[in-house]
Amino acid sequence: MNTEFPPTLARFILFDGLLTPTGPMTKFLLSVHVLAAILTIGPVAIAASMFPPAARRATQEGGVTAVRVLHRICRVYAAVGVLVPAFGLATARALGVLGDAWLITSIVLTAVAAAMLIWLILPRQDVILSALADQGRPDDRGTARLAMATGIFNLIWAVVVVLMIVRPGSTTGA
Amino acid sequence: MRRALNIAAGAELVTLTLLLANLATVHLPAVSSVLGPVHGAAYLLVILLTHNDRDAGGSTKLLAWLPAVGGLLVIRRRARAGL
Repeated sequence: MNTEFPPTLARFILFDGLLTPTGPMTKFLLSVHVLAAILTIGPVAIAASMFPPAARRATQEGGVTAVRVLHRICRVYAAVGVLVPAFGLATARALGVLGDAWLITSIVLTAVAAAMLIWLILPRQDVILSALADQGRPDDRGTARLAMATGIFNLIWAVVVVLMIVRPGSTTGA
Repeated sequence: MRRALNIAAGAELVTLTLLLANLATVHLPAVSSVLGPVHGAAYLLVILLTHNDRDAGGSTKLLAWLPAVGGLLVIRRRARAGL
């Protein structure tokens, strides 16, 4: 039986060379991960920050549409954002850094930020939107608390990005 | 919402099928490394979309966590409820 299929060079390219830390697949995975992070978390961070002041300014006559659009941006881009951890984990595996402390810290922080978005920020935006539709103005304490939650959410992302760049304790260099 | 769930549920099953087919046959790491995260993203998206669905009850939300077929089961349940 011929066990030499595919031939050695092709075997190296197809099986061993692609997924090494410097291989083309690793570069591809990392590119998708970074692109998805910029294009999904960026809009959510901006739209979520703009939401509380927009909601305070909105009245029943005007401005509610803008608030609704901001909420929709947060919701839709949060959904597309699942690409970021999915490709991030694949990249980490290809780079062989899954067990590194800086990466585990980033994963935990990302999980905290995602939980905040799903269980705190998006539901509170929902409540404020329905208050705007029903009474014409949201409750001031509600928007202030949402602004605080959003600020913490953005701060967590800033920390994660710095961790991804500095990679404290990593021997592969920055 | 419905369209996104259909796409995510389809991707969840198709990517896993292709991943297993690849594992059983040629076992190309390039195929696994691309389809793996796509499958992971589709899986998470099904869970997230079902979580955001106001009409989905607690058991439907739990159903979404099932690997491979969670999305399809959620779609079937929504269809039965006439959504």
